[in-house]
Amino acid sequence: MMAPVLLALIVILGAAGTVLYLASYFWGGLLLIAAIVLHVWRVGLLKGSGAVRELVRRSLRSAAVPVFGIVMAILLGGVVMIFSGYNPFVAYGALFYGGLARNWHISVLNAAPLIFTALSVAFAFKAGLFNIGAEGQYYLGAMAAAALSLYMPIPGFLAIPVIFLAAGLAGAAWNIVPAYLKMKTGAHEVITTMMLAHVARYLSPIFIRAFGGDPSTSTHPYVTTRIPEHTMLLRFRAFLPEANARLHTGIILAILVALAVYYLLYRTSMGFEIRAVGENRDAARAQGISVGRNIFRALLIAGFLAALAGFNQVNGLDHRLFENLQAGYGWNGISVALLAGGNPVAVIFTGLLWGTLDAGGQYMSRTTQTPGAIVEIVKGIILFLIVARYIYTAFSNWRKRRRSRAVNVATAAADAAGGAVRGEG
Amino acid sequence: MFTLEFLTNLLSATVRLSTPITLAAIGATICERSGIVNIAMEGIMIMGAFFAAIFAYTTGNPWIGLLAGVAFGGIYSLLHAFATVTLHLDHVVSGAVMNVLAFGITRFLMVLIIGHPGTTPAIPMGLGRYRFAIPILSDIPVIGRALFNQTPIVYLGFILVAFLTWFLFKTKTGLHIRAAGEHPLALETIGVSVYKMRYLGVFISGLASGLAGAYLSIEANVSFTEGMSAGRGFIALAAMISGGWHPIGAFLAALFFGFADALQVRFQVLRVVRLPEELFIVFPYLVTVIAVAGLVRRSRPPKAVGKDFMIERSED
Amino acid sequence: MKKALVLLVLLAVVSTFVVAGGRPEAAPTRRIAAMATDVGGLGDQSFNDGAYQGLLLGEPLGFEARVVESNQQTDYIPNLSGLAEDGAEIVFAVGFLMEEAVKEAARMHPDTYFGGIDIGGDDDLDNFQGILYREEQSGYLAGIVAGLMTNQYADASPRLRSDRNVVGIVLGMFIPPVERFEVGYIQGVKAVNPDATILSVTSGSFVDQAAGREATLAMIEQGADIVFQAAGLTGLGVIQAANEEGIFAIGVDIDQNHVAPETVLTSAIKKIPESVEVVLQSIVDGNFRSGTVSYGLAEDATGLAPFHQHDAIVPQAVKDAVDDAIRGILDGSIEVATSRSQIQHLLD
Repeated sequence: MMAPVLLALIVILGAAGTVLYLASYFWGGLLLIAAIVLHVWRVGLLKGSGAVRELVRRSLRSAAVPVFGIVMAILLGGVVMIFSGYNPFVAYGALFYGGLARNWHISVLNAAPLIFTALSVAFAFKAGLFNIGAEGQYYLGAMAAAALSLYMPIPGFLAIPVIFLAAGLAGAAWNIVPAYLKMKTGAHEVITTMMLAHVARYLSPIFIRAFGGDPSTSTHPYVTTRIPEHTMLLRFRAFLPEANARLHTGIILAILVALAVYYLLYRTSMGFEIRAVGENRDAARAQGISVGRNIFRALLIAGFLAALAGFNQVNGLDHRLFENLQAGYGWNGISVALLAGGNPVAVIFTGLLWGTLDAGGQYMSRTTQTPGAIVEIVKGIILFLIVARYIYTAFSNWRKRRRSRAVNVATAAADAAGGAVRGEG
Repeated sequence: MFTLEFLTNLLSATVRLSTPITLAAIGATICERSGIVNIAMEGIMIMGAFFAAIFAYTTGNPWIGLLAGVAFGGIYSLLHAFATVTLHLDHVVSGAVMNVLAFGITRFLMVLIIGHPGTTPAIPMGLGRYRFAIPILSDIPVIGRALFNQTPIVYLGFILVAFLTWFLFKTKTGLHIRAAGEHPLALETIGVSVYKMRYLGVFISGLASGLAGAYLSIEANVSFTEGMSAGRGFIALAAMISGGWHPIGAFLAALFFGFADALQVRFQVLRVVRLPEELFIVFPYLVTVIAVAGLVRRSRPPKAVGKDFMIERSED
Repeated sequence: MKKALVLLVLLAVVSTFVVAGGRPEAAPTRRIAAMATDVGGLGDQSFNDGAYQGLLLGEPLGFEARVVESNQQTDYIPNLSGLAEDGAEIVFAVGFLMEEAVKEAARMHPDTYFGGIDIGGDDDLDNFQGILYREEQSGYLAGIVAGLMTNQYADASPRLRSDRNVVGIVLGMFIPPVERFEVGYIQGVKAVNPDATILSVTSGSFVDQAAGREATLAMIEQGADIVFQAAGLTGLGVIQAANEEGIFAIGVDIDQNHVAPETVLTSAIKKIPESVEVVLQSIVDGNFRSGTVSYGLAEDATGLAPFHQHDAIVPQAVKDAVDDAIRGILDGSIEVATSRSQIQHLLD
């Protein structure tokens, strides 16, 4: 009799602890939870308790898939660790302690730029495009943000919004060429955005040298000077201990932008058109939707979103522009977007997950004296999340199919992501 | 400055620089022709490069390294086939995972086998030593001297371009592979397994990318360095698309990129103009964009590429 | 099924808490000397590896080496201050990108010593030593050797072309230590051989061997017979190409003769391990220096590697010229520039 009660107690305590944990995890999280509660409340008011029960059931079901993936990945990772002679309990303990508790602010700091670039990739996916060059737009955003912060006399209260917009526009402008080419000649965006990403990466050192820096430092001219105080994103200094002082409001911006992207995609006619083009170009054309114009818009918006990551790093984290040898936010953003299945709201969570694993992996490698390479393994395991999710989907499809014993041969349409690499027909 | 000698050297460098891109791009062409999107060349290449170097180092024989690089490229690519064909995983997702995983695996194995990350010790002898001129052909001025005085994998690349073109368009299996990418349903109804054709397509692409990796680590150089593929797998993706999903088109596109890169290095060496170095480095990328914009006609991918194909057999 | 899954996850979460809560905070029994790499990580055969070897040299002094590899810029501060909190006596930051991070960490942990490889010091921090190297001195000496051997003493080896007066240098990416190597090299070559043509290629990567090889081959086409590399692992491709084509290469950072003994004439040295050891020794002795410490010829931290098997063919005059240059640098009669802007007249 005692055992189940004890188990239930542990489970309940664990669940309550998790919720509290996540709530204190970051202020944006609180915001999200509030939004979710409000939504549930609204559904309850409008449609009654039955609808609420249905909503909860549906959410639980959709949560089961990623949860299954996480468990799978953790188990597989543990097996790898055992085989290579590391203690998975110690390692995972350190990973989660580091990522969620000790260095949680680093997790959040890591997540913010990833959310922006992942939003960019996800948005393009919705239009059936693969913005593989988000990395390049990130650099453009960073350069624009640095240039404006350093040299434009913008009054205090206007500075942040102006720089935010200008950085985004720089990224959008960087995508004009690929977008125009895609629209006019059908030149594949995978080629054009990726090539331009390489170009942007090598432009940044030229840019930094051109704008100079502080000649009295040993890093001159490889780092720009510090941007003025009023162009820096607010930090959570008042709420947090000294050790977490670098945590800045970029994460809240990222979450707000993610919600805005969701709104744009699912609540506006522009979003509808873009999604229609992404799902089936011929059908969209038949409905009188201009394919070219929507492709153009989608790539520009994708550029805007990726460039915000650059703004976030310059004005939020670094307060200067480094010759950033291996930023990689654009490339990693692809994984984060895929992990979220292209859903802008889900990107918030997958971005945070990724950031947590990065920060936790660092902590694990430092405290458990395992070589740095294990961090890479952990990342590989995490990517297995995606695979595992699809294995789960394939599994449930298989079960469903067994139940219905349907069709003999069928081709299923590719989802948005798969269609992305298709050229325009 | 622009003598025949210079031109010969330029073309020779073009061929060297384009070889890994060509190999990965023609492989990817076969793969996409069978209906599977492949963005995993970068990862497969790095696996091929790693295992080629490890085997050449431990056995002391670069030919065994070559075989190992090709074999492990092929084996690793089967993971992509399994994920996309059997598990119906999204092709781009699987490709992205393949790339990240390859870097993780090689880094981890570096630590396990070599004892440190970074670079392997030099192999006793690289394939670069086996440079030989093909009689008669190599006597042709400029082109002959540039193309036919090369190393084994470069020649293998030429042969593969011809062979795979023939294979894809003149053999029955090639026809089936193309059908798997264009009309999988029709192929299935005449009794040929789409799954098998797609597995084959991915596998061929894995072998070719593995060979490209081996070229980097044991022919162009004598050791493996983490990250030594340096984006060439993605350039190959671009070459495949701008080549219009045709092996010869992919080959030409790869040559074009290699030419721009070879030219870029010579611009720096000759200091034709005094500009920041980075502007030279981006030159090949920029001209690719321009070429794609101006020269490349609208090309059509295989109709069913990226589309999942599911066979369901009733159980009664 | 679903319930079982949820239960499993919750169990996993709970067990994580239990594990995390029970994490033993190992009390440091030995003295710990630690470092955080920059994003390049270990295996770069350059500053990251050099600093790590330096920590290992500290073992006889009673230090236990500890290293953590950073994956991205946000990792720098938590890694550095985390190592300090783990009980390290000194924490090294490697690479100029970590400048801000290490100073911030040093401010947060006044009781821990910090060192910065390739990073300038800060007068306000008495627990931080910024370690800069005079790479330009090593580059200068390499330039003297290359400048003399390529022309005046070209008959010393069949690898040298007496008909051409061309040397080369391949750079990885353009970062401060690379710039100093290059500037010194150009100045050295021009000092002994004003007519020499110096070819320079920036490959844009520290890990792309194939790019290093191609750059070198292009230089050889133009008649270069000695190529110096300051390109990290890309430089292995430089040495490889030189080896294939039978010319000389000059290594960088460490004595790279072992990479290809017949090909590597000498190497422009930067003794990171030894300077890290010096810092560790100073902690043992209780005389840690804060501010910027620059390690050069006077500290025996820069210079040229031995010629090894080429010792016999390198003319005494070349060795004398190198010794003269060393004396000149030491007594101040030769001033080696540190940035391109100072040697504009040589570049055009």
